[in-house]
Amino acid sequence: MPGQSFSFAALGSQFLVGLSRAMILFIVCAGLSFVLGVLRVPNVAHGALYMLGAFSAYTISTRIGGSAGFWLALVLAPWVVALVSLIAERALFCHLYQREHLMLLLFTFALSLILSDLVKFVWGATYRSVLAPSFLKGFVPVFGSPFPRYNFFLLIMGPLVAVGLWLFTNKTRMGKICRAAAVDREMVGALGINVSWVFAAAFVIGCYLAGLGGALVAPTVSVTLGMDHTLIIEAFLIVTIGGLGNIWGALVGSLLFGITQSLGVLFWPQFAIVFPYVAVVIVLLLRPRGLLKSVW
Amino acid sequence: MLQVEAVYKSFGDFTAVYGAHLTVERGELVAVIGPNGAGKTTLFNLITGQLKPDKGKILFKGEEINGLPPYEICKKGIGRSFQIVNIFPRLTVFENVQVAVLAQQRKSSNLFFPAQSLAVEETSHILESVGLSDKAASIAGSLSHGDQKILEIAIALGNDPELLILDEPTAGMSPEETAATIKLVRQLAETRGLTILFCEHDMDVVFDIAQSIMVMHHGQTLIQGKPEEVRKDKRVQEAYLGSVELAEGR
Amino acid sequence: MPKGVANLIPRRGLWSAGGIFFALLIVPQFAPEFYVYILTLIFVTALLAMSLNLVIGHGGLFQFHHAAFYGVGAYAFALILTKTSLPVWVGFIAGPLTAAVMGLLIGWFCVRLSQLYFGMLQISLGSLIWAIVFRWYKFTGGDDGIHGIPRPSFLSSSNKVYYFVLLIVTFCLIVMYLILKSPFGRTLQAIRDNPQRCEAVGVNVRRHQLMAIVIATSFAGMAGVLFVVLERFVVPDLLFWTLSLEILIMCLLGGWFTFAGPVLGAALIVALRTFVGKYTEYWTLILGIILILLIFFLPEGVMGYFLRISERSR
Repeated sequence: MPGQSFSFAALGSQFLVGLSRAMILFIVCAGLSFVLGVLRVPNVAHGALYMLGAFSAYTISTRIGGSAGFWLALVLAPWVVALVSLIAERALFCHLYQREHLMLLLFTFALSLILSDLVKFVWGATYRSVLAPSFLKGFVPVFGSPFPRYNFFLLIMGPLVAVGLWLFTNKTRMGKICRAAAVDREMVGALGINVSWVFAAAFVIGCYLAGLGGALVAPTVSVTLGMDHTLIIEAFLIVTIGGLGNIWGALVGSLLFGITQSLGVLFWPQFAIVFPYVAVVIVLLLRPRGLLKSVW
Repeated sequence: MLQVEAVYKSFGDFTAVYGAHLTVERGELVAVIGPNGAGKTTLFNLITGQLKPDKGKILFKGEEINGLPPYEICKKGIGRSFQIVNIFPRLTVFENVQVAVLAQQRKSSNLFFPAQSLAVEETSHILESVGLSDKAASIAGSLSHGDQKILEIAIALGNDPELLILDEPTAGMSPEETAATIKLVRQLAETRGLTILFCEHDMDVVFDIAQSIMVMHHGQTLIQGKPEEVRKDKRVQEAYLGSVELAEGR
Repeated sequence: MPKGVANLIPRRGLWSAGGIFFALLIVPQFAPEFYVYILTLIFVTALLAMSLNLVIGHGGLFQFHHAAFYGVGAYAFALILTKTSLPVWVGFIAGPLTAAVMGLLIGWFCVRLSQLYFGMLQISLGSLIWAIVFRWYKFTGGDDGIHGIPRPSFLSSSNKVYYFVLLIVTFCLIVMYLILKSPFGRTLQAIRDNPQRCEAVGVNVRRHQLMAIVIATSFAGMAGVLFVVLERFVVPDLLFWTLSLEILIMCLLGGWFTFAGPVLGAALIVALRTFVGKYTEYWTLILGIILILLIFFLPEGVMGYFLRISERSR
């Protein structure tokens, strides 16, 4: 029941934990939001792709071993996921772009089913763990509590990805085209740009981010089947409260989600998982279209 | 019967309707004309409740109706057909009209009786009066464009309205279809005692049947009056590129 | 195109439905118990799928988390049977009633929103309920669920359960059919096709949709109750989002603009899942492939496809 040890130190420490979790959520949700904005479809397979990223990171890091293994995994695993998503997109998905959105959503659901069994097939049902590189292992006292060193790395990666995405969508030609396609795809087509390729690029980038999130989270959790299920719900909720398609909204939503969950642990550990959902419900009841403007 | 007073509507920076006025007397056939973008459809949307006016009043039979939702306004006796065909494509022609009649009879929420036995007489009657009886069992989506526009009107009639608002009823029709529709509209006005408000681009149609014409330009009301007055008005002639046609008169 | 709404079930369809019903009545007399169990499960799932189709196929609403109402009905029944000493019939009423109340609450917020937001808000609210049930160990048994729920004494054998479930499901389906043929149902389908036009002819669209949701969720709650009668346990998985998507697949597979399509879809999926499950543990993969085939080749569903070709041949 409420009334756990409530000191400012504990508060601060939990806040940082929530913040680091929010960074992973942000990276994954930024990808989801990006796909949602450009293709107007919520990618149900995003959770499975995240899981694929985590498992791929496991294989790469254990094959190569040591700290180098981790860094290599971090670089390569998202590309594995991106490749898989590209194959799915070019072989099947792109033929559906003229259909109703419900069909696209169902396709991504089918993809998630296939991918999760694929992961089961390749890696089996046992828990895996990925080791962080040596200088990121261990804890550092922060606010009097031990804080995992690795989380500092996450706290840096999150803003890095945010800046990277911002640069991409505002400074590169491809990114600007993606943004334009999100708002008015017919216009983009009328300019002579192949809209199908734009969608492919946006989809692959979004999935890359999912894989990156998976690879980053791997040292902090047990990599196992089923990690896609809870993540996809959380990702959907975050993207909804942030404003559909809005990447900054994904940031706001992730922060809200991660921090309410970790603070919830302080106040009511048994129901900590409920806090972020309640926060989401409150936001949606007050601002059903999300906190920030949706892209469309 | 219908009084629109100094009504304003903006969408962000763009002002669609800027202090428009309109008066419709009972039993009249009133037309609203104006070049594209003059705000006619917006004005209609304001009257029938799809949009809320920023300022101004809309009175129907003395009662203020601005701000009410469309289904309430409909219940007060205003029926409407849309410019872009707005039917129920997957239902049959009969069912299309029946939905409106059922709503009028307040039976939409009736859970317990088979729908095919309800409101049959009224629906058939309406289909007969618009000439669609022989197509009653066809799927609405398969009708020709002209027939679909007539179905539009039929659906609006399902509510047994006192005021019928028609948004470009002859748009996209061939000359024969247009003539038939005009005849129909005149007939409906007489036999059902309807008051009709419509907007049109086809000037022949307008000057043929309208008893009072309101001219809109840039969201404002330029003038409202009898056809001859409007035809002679200089501002109207300037606003319209077809000023030559107006001056010649038909 | 399907022939309007009046022909929701063609005459021949009624005769085959009657025939199937009588066949089902005789089955338990000679079939092994396992098949009786599977058929009972199919009945329950069919009711659930039909209730979803009421709002999604005939109503056009993006009801993305229908399973939440199913789970709530199941849990309500289970809790009444295990935590209180109230008579069983109270549980039978409480299941659909709780689901209907939840449908009213959640629906009230959702109908104010357009499609995608409707779906997302439902997923959020439904997931909140899942999270609460998942964690409230003392009350709901948490992630273990509640097991060993007693069956009502008059259902002493699996055959009796079979007939009981068959009767209730048939009754519910008949009621659903009557509702769809009534003015309410016709107006609902009109709203699906063109909500703006319906508003313009005097239909209070939101209230109508809300009524449809409440009706559909009460049927889902009933399905939940029947599930508990059959399986005698509840787990939080009944409230999980993936189940909602599975039911959606059933509606799609059967054909969501037809009346009985979801029944067929449910039967196919449950049967496949059971028998495929014997040979491989990759049922999820197969379900995904089925869904992809459906999307590309048979979006109107099996029954929709057959209705179409049978009409062309007339």
